[in-house]
Amino acid sequence: MTSPRPRVRPDAAEPPGLDDLLRRVARGDEDAFAVLYDRIAPRVYGLALRVIRDPAQAEEVAQEALVDVWRTAGRYDPARGSAISWVLTIAHRRAVDRVRSEQATADRTRRAAVTEVAFDEVVEEATARFEQQQVRRCLGNLTELQREAVDLAYYHGYSYREVAELLGAALPTVKTRMRDALIRLRDCLGVSFG
Amino acid sequence: MSDIHTVSGAYALDAVDDIERVAFARHLEECPACVREVAELTATAARLVDAVTAVPPAWLRERVLDEIGRTRQIGPLIRRPAHAVPATRRWRRAAVAVAAAVVLVAAGGGALAQEQRVRDAQRQAAQAAEIEAVLTAPDAMVQAAPGPDGLGRVTLVTSRARDEAVAAFGGLESPGVDRTYQLWTQRGDQSTDKGKLGTGVTSGTVLVAGVRTEQKFAVTREPAGGSTAPTEVPPVSLKLD
Repeated sequence: MTSPRPRVRPDAAEPPGLDDLLRRVARGDEDAFAVLYDRIAPRVYGLALRVIRDPAQAEEVAQEALVDVWRTAGRYDPARGSAISWVLTIAHRRAVDRVRSEQATADRTRRAAVTEVAFDEVVEEATARFEQQQVRRCLGNLTELQREAVDLAYYHGYSYREVAELLGAALPTVKTRMRDALIRLRDCLGVSFG
Repeated sequence: MSDIHTVSGAYALDAVDDIERVAFARHLEECPACVREVAELTATAARLVDAVTAVPPAWLRERVLDEIGRTRQIGPLIRRPAHAVPATRRWRRAAVAVAAAVVLVAAGGGALAQEQRVRDAQRQAAQAAEIEAVLTAPDAMVQAAPGPDGLGRVTLVTSRARDEAVAAFGGLESPGVDRTYQLWTQRGDQSTDKGKLGTGVTSGTVLVAGVRTEQKFAVTREPAGGSTAPTEVPPVSLKLD
């Protein structure tokens, strides 16, 4: 899988250099990390804030996640995914751990009654940037159930089991909807890998 | 399409629990097409962040840069491109970590005779294999519940076909001084002892055999040696049928 083929990857595929930065960070390069920080912090913090809702806690979680990126940079495997998805997977996991340990399930279930409003907020926040518009447009292409499933799972940190409960849908249905939704989004956004 | 395969979306959205994550990671090992799908779906999920970016307070930068100056990195030199560890093997390690948890639970009894240790090790290895088999069973059903007082989590993976379940405990509150968490299956008012976590132990993984005809899986806090029947209303109870 990781044959030592010369890497001549066109820089246009991804915002140039995240991969390289991460490689330098893995060797302990603090200057490279500072540059990396500026590139990824708004997404890491924005994601933490979206999932956790509380700025003080989101700052803590963003800090933990960013330090994790430093600490584990050597474990990043380009064969498994892009640098940014690796970073955001760490950040999302951290944020989800926080909300899931934070509240008893019952508490969160009650809170989720306002989920549709929350989704509108997300759409509202998507401003003029092209990528944001694109994400917004593609989210708009999903079915109601697909969109809700993605919203509750990714932006609120619910497990698919909880999502099924919240939406009153069967487990296999929710699982399938999540997969269908991501596949549809992938195609709409033109995401490819490998 | 097998049940495990369809979890790729939930996996990419991080909407699975730790056991399912391990089980799915195991599946990835045998499914190269899934590795690609998961990479793409994870990248797609990452794009959802485009809609929610937010500028963190300026002091966070200083604080993070300060902290990394004091934080040791792990594993930066392990990569050897020529004979890199196949990525898939790392997934196997995750499964082994679950198995190791069993060993942790089973150990702790002080020094044992060498022969006994070998037997134990063999039994534990066998049990670890059993656990993996349950986690990856085609009919594996996963349930989870918060621990007592909402602290921590109890996750139960049940395979009716195998007549076994794996119970994983994480971050529970202390069972109390000289007390242990004890596991039960229940049918009507009949409770069957399914083992203990160990005195003061608040996390671990246990294989539970004989679940098919039972109605509930329950966890109680009992005196150190365990009880012959639950002495409290189970603070954790999951349906088995």
